[in-house]
Amino acid sequence: MKIFRLSLFNLKKNKREAAAILFLTLVSAFLLGTFLSSVTNIPKVFGKCFAETGCRDYMIMVEADKYRDVYSDILTEDYSISEVQRGKALWALEAQYDKNGENRSTNMTFVTESTEYAFEDFVKDETLSDDEIAKLIHPIYLPEYFKIADGFKAGDTFTLTAGGMDYPFEIAGFYKCGLLAESGIGRKCVISDYDYMLLTSVYPEYELMIFDQSDSFDYSEYTDKCSKKSSENFAKACQYRNVEDAKTNEIYSIEMYLYISVFFSAVTFAAVFFLIAHKIKKDIEDQMQQIGVLEALGYTSKEISLSYVCEYVLSGGVGAVLGGICAVLFNPVMNSICTSMIYRHYDVSPNYLRIIVAVLIVAVLVTAFAAFKAGRIRKIPPVTAFRKGIQTHHFGRNVFPLEGLKKSVNLRLALKGIFTDLSGSIGTAICIILAGTAFMFAFFTYDFFSKDDAMLKVVGMEVPDESVTLMNGVDTDKFREELLALPEVRKVNLTCGYSSWMYVKGSDEPGTAFGYEDYSETENIFVKEGRLPEYENEVAISLGRADRENRHVGDSLIMLGDGGEKSYIITGIVPAMSNSRMNMYFTTDGFIRMNPNARPDMAEIYLKEGTDRKAFEKKLTALYGANAKDTAFGSSADGTLEERIRAVADEKMAVLISRYGITDVDYAIKIGDTVIKGNSSKFVIKEMSPMAEMFADEMGTVGEVAKTFCGAAMIFVGVIVAVILSIISAGTVKRQRKELGIMKSMGYTSKDLMMQIAMRILPTAVLSSVIAVFCAIFVQRAFWLAMFGIQIAESLPLMIISAAVLVVFCLMVSYISARRIKKISVTELVTE
Amino acid sequence: MIPVLRTEKLCKSFSNGGTQQHVIKNLDLEIMDGDFTVIMGASGSGKSTLLYALSGMDKPTLGKIYFGDKEIQGYSNDQLAVFRRGNCGFVFQSIYLLENQTVLDNVLTGAFAVQKNSPELIKRTKDTLARLGLDEEMQKKYPNQLSGGEAQRVGIVRAIINEPKILFADEPTGSLNSATGKEVLDIFTQVHENGQSIVMVTHDIKTALRGTRVIYLRDGSVVGEHRMPKYGGDDLKERRNELTAFLDEMGW
Repeated sequence: MKIFRLSLFNLKKNKREAAAILFLTLVSAFLLGTFLSSVTNIPKVFGKCFAETGCRDYMIMVEADKYRDVYSDILTEDYSISEVQRGKALWALEAQYDKNGENRSTNMTFVTESTEYAFEDFVKDETLSDDEIAKLIHPIYLPEYFKIADGFKAGDTFTLTAGGMDYPFEIAGFYKCGLLAESGIGRKCVISDYDYMLLTSVYPEYELMIFDQSDSFDYSEYTDKCSKKSSENFAKACQYRNVEDAKTNEIYSIEMYLYISVFFSAVTFAAVFFLIAHKIKKDIEDQMQQIGVLEALGYTSKEISLSYVCEYVLSGGVGAVLGGICAVLFNPVMNSICTSMIYRHYDVSPNYLRIIVAVLIVAVLVTAFAAFKAGRIRKIPPVTAFRKGIQTHHFGRNVFPLEGLKKSVNLRLALKGIFTDLSGSIGTAICIILAGTAFMFAFFTYDFFSKDDAMLKVVGMEVPDESVTLMNGVDTDKFREELLALPEVRKVNLTCGYSSWMYVKGSDEPGTAFGYEDYSETENIFVKEGRLPEYENEVAISLGRADRENRHVGDSLIMLGDGGEKSYIITGIVPAMSNSRMNMYFTTDGFIRMNPNARPDMAEIYLKEGTDRKAFEKKLTALYGANAKDTAFGSSADGTLEERIRAVADEKMAVLISRYGITDVDYAIKIGDTVIKGNSSKFVIKEMSPMAEMFADEMGTVGEVAKTFCGAAMIFVGVIVAVILSIISAGTVKRQRKELGIMKSMGYTSKDLMMQIAMRILPTAVLSSVIAVFCAIFVQRAFWLAMFGIQIAESLPLMIISAAVLVVFCLMVSYISARRIKKISVTELVTE
Repeated sequence: MIPVLRTEKLCKSFSNGGTQQHVIKNLDLEIMDGDFTVIMGASGSGKSTLLYALSGMDKPTLGKIYFGDKEIQGYSNDQLAVFRRGNCGFVFQSIYLLENQTVLDNVLTGAFAVQKNSPELIKRTKDTLARLGLDEEMQKKYPNQLSGGEAQRVGIVRAIINEPKILFADEPTGSLNSATGKEVLDIFTQVHENGQSIVMVTHDIKTALRGTRVIYLRDGSVVGEHRMPKYGGDDLKERRNELTAFLDEMGW
């Protein structure tokens, strides 16, 4: 009982420290509980989401005009897949739609209801009534993404924009979507057969093969078989998706944030350990005589140390339990966060067992650590305790003697203070290093996402203001020269188109191939190592590919292209987070070597600052005529009969060119005696797309989420550091009350003494901040490489600023927390 | 003699469980330059309270305190600290040395609150310590390696190193045995002979004999005053008798 009372006495006496330990254990248990509960729930729920939809496991999508029946036969014959479901889909890359007057874009696919049933069970979620749906002219069922991300509701109008024309649909409802719910290939929307037919003139059509397969399916082997049997380049015409990959892609970011949360939990836990170690040591020093009395009365060291353990079982245990309760209460918020990140309805109960495990882990570790530290009492016999231990005897070297004082006496006295509690300083240093690493990592990441061009620098591909695909036969060099003569144009690069995947021999990972004549003219493609290719037998590869496939500069890379197998030497490694991080970079000749039919048919146009892109697009249309893609959507113009006939003919040619890859078209139409002739040479531009705008749309959300998370993380770490330092500072004031009173009697002001306390932390803070900068760089590199396959450049000024911010923050917290010095009265001290 | 410190209607009261306790009441007092003033009185008479109010360690409840021509009762805590460092030295009954600092550093911590480091200051500090029997070896020691008398000598050197206008002492021999106490008092006498003004609180007659002026306090008011020549300049027995007689008269 006496022991328990001593614990309560200590808790009452050191309320602030007890509250800090309670708070930190609460945070640790909360983060750990949330992690343990969610890390298992997320994949489980994700699996449940897929199971609910009745979605098949695999989907292969082949360009409609390149589809051959043999592809389906191979699945049945070579892979014994008995049931291969078939369907058709329209693929809209960067489809534009209207959200409350705001133009947004995402990849989308459109299927009819029958195809949807081939895919999955078409589980509708929130729909209008059957009567209401029956009255709709253009009904559309959207995946949950549009409800969660954009706030659409059943009954709203969903307007697609293509080629300057609006295609308004009425939202009949939402449905639970399995595959094709994310933006990779496109978010799948279900439309009527009539609307599907209408959109076939707008978007390219694909044949779908959908099937279940219990064993893992080897895409590379299947691609080889298809190419061999059809004697065509199957790889160029197809896209794959499967449930496992979808899971990996969709829950990637949540898991990333969860693992970061564990890191913060570890930081908090380290702070708890430090505070316990610090407090027990100081408590034992303070209560040395009391311990001696108890020992003299016959209490064993074990019993006395139990009083300290009991104290932390109370404060840490209550904190851990409260943390567990917080983790349970946080579950609805976590559900909402997950819903908004995976764009699927996420609603699960907390995993109570795992939260209890988290609480127990925290409570047991706190108790064990407290028991370990309190074991120190065993080494103190009563006589030593009566003499206040041997710690207060100083027979060592006089560190920083005042005789050698050069400038500030406050600084010198502060430095002397550090050596009176060296172990405390080391503990403080470890805490600042850990918290500083977390703080700086969040700071660097926040800074990265705050810059407008940050993502551009790591995307590993060019993001021009306007990307123009030219018609076959157009003199691309002449077109480039003409563009450069325009006052709005800053730069024009010609490149080979990069919409198809390219395959590497011996690799399961296809990737996007880029071909540029001169990489010194590109603006977003940089090497981390080596150099960009200069000759036709050279290639640079993305960091993600280099890392995943263990490829290095100087290795050979064999490409599987239209021109058969071609060998290249890897000359450089490019940080790139675009296109699944598996890019390859060739010279134009190198690209053509692999694809003999390719040519630089895309002009990447960079506009001068302040140029209105839309006005520039109109100017291009005025100069070169409407592009084929837009013309394909157009309705016949007004005017004379001949003009109307020519307009219709242009539309037909445009459809052939933009949708079916036809390169040259001639027509002759006879009306009475008149023959109207024309050809496709009038088209110069096949397609135009505002790359930079689309990129900003897509990346803006990612940046905002990351910035919010990092901002919150910085505040969190700041609070942790503030709690630790304020406890240390306030504890120092409390324990050195006598010394500080003496100093006051000598004429040192409260400000002098507060400065001394703050300055004591200075060397530790400076050293720890510098170490934290290097640790943060290491963590950041590992994080970005693992998550995005890139490395972001560290900025020296930012490193210096962040270290300085941390040091100043530590000093300020220590200074402010030492304000209790003001309450120390010399009179009370000497009369007590 | 010129008054170095003067009070007008000085009052100090404390709140004790909701009841106001008036410890110093309307006290008018002058401390003369060069005087060795001893404050005596029964326990609870307000001796220490007066000492700390006079020295700027504590603020009075009412009344005025003039240090020279400056009123200090309205100073903030930090202003009082600055005032103390330039004008006052303190010797405490419990000595109050900084335990984690050597003898020399204890004295220099006080010195550097006022003065900048210089070879002259270091030399003067070491010489002063040596003069009071604390040689080079002793100067490197920490407080817990010193005897009570040695520690109090360090306390005295720390108090006088800045050459304060007044040296305040609160029962400086209270925790020492008689032999050590005598050594300490000899130092006070020596310091006073050098012209140092001293205000000392004591309840010990032997200690009070060292003063030149004895003020007797009762219930927070000065009820009597006894003047004496400088210590050593008269017959000690007669000095003691006169002081005893004064104290008897005061009800000691």
